[in-house]
Amino acid sequence: MAPSKHIPGYCGRKLKWRMRHLTAAALCCVAMSAQAQTPVFEIEIREHLFYPSELKIPAGQKVKLIIHNRDATPEEFESYELNREKVIIGNTQGIVFIGPLKAGEYPFFGEFNPKTAQGKVIVE
Amino acid sequence: MIRSCGILCAAGGRVSFLLVGTLIGLLTGSQTHADNLLHHNGVGRVYDPYVQPLERELELRTYYQTDDDPIESDILRQRIGFGAAINERVFAELYLIGMKLPGSAMRLESYELESKIQLTEQGEYAADWGLLVELERQRSESIAELATTLLATRQWGDWVGTVNLGIEYEYGSNIRNEFDTFMSAQWRLRYRESLEPGIEVYADEFTHGIGPVLTGLVRGSENQKWHWEAGIIVPTNDTTPDYTYRLLLEYEF
Repeated sequence: MAPSKHIPGYCGRKLKWRMRHLTAAALCCVAMSAQAQTPVFEIEIREHLFYPSELKIPAGQKVKLIIHNRDATPEEFESYELNREKVIIGNTQGIVFIGPLKAGEYPFFGEFNPKTAQGKVIVE
Repeated sequence: MIRSCGILCAAGGRVSFLLVGTLIGLLTGSQTHADNLLHHNGVGRVYDPYVQPLERELELRTYYQTDDDPIESDILRQRIGFGAAINERVFAELYLIGMKLPGSAMRLESYELESKIQLTEQGEYAADWGLLVELERQRSESIAELATTLLATRQWGDWVGTVNLGIEYEYGSNIRNEFDTFMSAQWRLRYRESLEPGIEVYADEFTHGIGPVLTGLVRGSENQKWHWEAGIIVPTNDTTPDYTYRLLLEYEF
């Protein structure tokens, strides 16, 4: 049976219930907006080359880098300067979070094909 | 113990590391049980939480300890392992562990199966997280250990801090069944790829040690890499050997 609105304390409990749900919803919104605020950039690997080979990203901000490996063979996105290493199996994609970084250039390369697969992140 | 955890806490100033340091301090501080202290040395390695798909590796670790107590001196431990990534998140490795006591030959002591699970993408959150599960079995005695370790790494500019917090259950007919906790931590400068100096801290029921470490990575042809670590751990209590020299070599291919 649904509680009667005349039960002592019912309004208080209902208010608390609403506040809890509002708080949860607010936290969800904050989390979602924080996720949404992370800029997304994409890079493709084709025939053991990075496209684009130069990627410009904003300084002082974390970015999400989606790397699509269009080749059938695996490749490893690697950069000591960015402190990132990510193997991407052929015909799949990998996600790398980089930053926040200071302005400058940060080279990266494909470890499986280091002579051809080269690029740099330009932070400005 | 709490002071050693505080190295990371102070450097980072982050609540998560502070909580972790306090937690492990309380955990180890509350231990009252005592298993076999003889030849015990809790110095190992500090694990990062990362897994790379398709990765395979051969690993050799050597530990040599000296002490003013002759029973605890001139002891050599070696560990040889082969590991491979099972998928994008899980890496498994099998070890053979040997020990050489003074006046005797190197002897196979135990086997260990280890699995590392990467929980978060690198850089996605304030810290990167992983989990390590280890099962070790003594060869000649009915003693086994099942351990779970939480791995956390965070970067501050050119510095990287890593903390491993573990709980293990020792069981078997030749040992009193009990839970123990342990921790290790590393604070490392990303000076250059081939050479990164740092400091390591180890703590468990008996071992409380700290010391300098050098690590580095040397690239071979194609996807081959050599990762090396060398360090000296000195005691901060009476039940830790005077010097533990550790060397690690990993061949990734």
